[in-house]
Amino acid sequence: MSRSEINAKSPHNYIFYYFVKYTAALPGLIWMRPKILFESEAAAERIRGGAILIANHMGFFDPVYMMFAVWYRRQHFVCLKSFFEGKAGWLFRQFHCIPIDKNNFGMGSFRAIIDELKKDEVVSLFPEGKVNDGSGELAAFKSGVVLMALRSGKPIIPIYVRPKKHWYERLRVMIGEPIRVEMPAVSFQKIDAFAALLHDKEERLKELTGG
Amino acid sequence: MQLSRTQIIEKLKEILISADERNGALAARAEESASLRGDFGFSSVNMLYLVIAIEESFGIEFDDVSMSDFETLGDVVDYIAGKLG
Repeated sequence: MSRSEINAKSPHNYIFYYFVKYTAALPGLIWMRPKILFESEAAAERIRGGAILIANHMGFFDPVYMMFAVWYRRQHFVCLKSFFEGKAGWLFRQFHCIPIDKNNFGMGSFRAIIDELKKDEVVSLFPEGKVNDGSGELAAFKSGVVLMALRSGKPIIPIYVRPKKHWYERLRVMIGEPIRVEMPAVSFQKIDAFAALLHDKEERLKELTGG
Repeated sequence: MQLSRTQIIEKLKEILISADERNGALAARAEESASLRGDFGFSSVNMLYLVIAIEESFGIEFDDVSMSDFETLGDVVDYIAGKLG
């Protein structure tokens, strides 16, 4: 999908986004009782300007958990292109999501993401590229997120959402310190190595939340 | 700026040498018939990085292409030649 197609189909305002966000906030807070934890004092600082939020992917509600974690910023979620097909596509467009073909990641989606970051927006994605298989083990991270951070110059904020073991448990979300991707000489190997480093960071956050 | 196909391939080799830390292993295989997926083992992210590096090196702007638009290095050369055109 080209960047112009993505932009043409997105609404020009955030009315629906904010309407849903604020009407769903109270029931969501009561049901999930989210507990937001921070890796350090630096991680607790408010996110300002453009940033890339990354998190583990457990299911359909992960975007909601991320919205609770960073409630004060609107987020553009990167979603599979197939979600935009049919009537459901309307909903994803209203939320200003960005479509991506995970098997054929193209310049259209990449440029749409960079455009949002350069407008100081927050882009949120799940670098595992798929919903967790249920084992709780994090899958290897796709390296596209490293390229996004390099090209935009914006930081990556790692977030770990702890799966609830019982319905009555509080939702626990750990926010990590911002990570800047800086490389004097970029190479394919360095990009892949940085993606592995982000995976290790996510594992660390998982440990801190108690698994 | 007009460049011959040989000159384009030479510039592509320079890009591949800096992008690949394996002592020019990719550049050594840089022939027009080389398959991006098969011979180079490129992922879609590798391809995106290559596109960005080509844009900066050749001073051109790619359309919203993806991995599926290019089968071989020759396809990339065709595209660049068309843009320099």
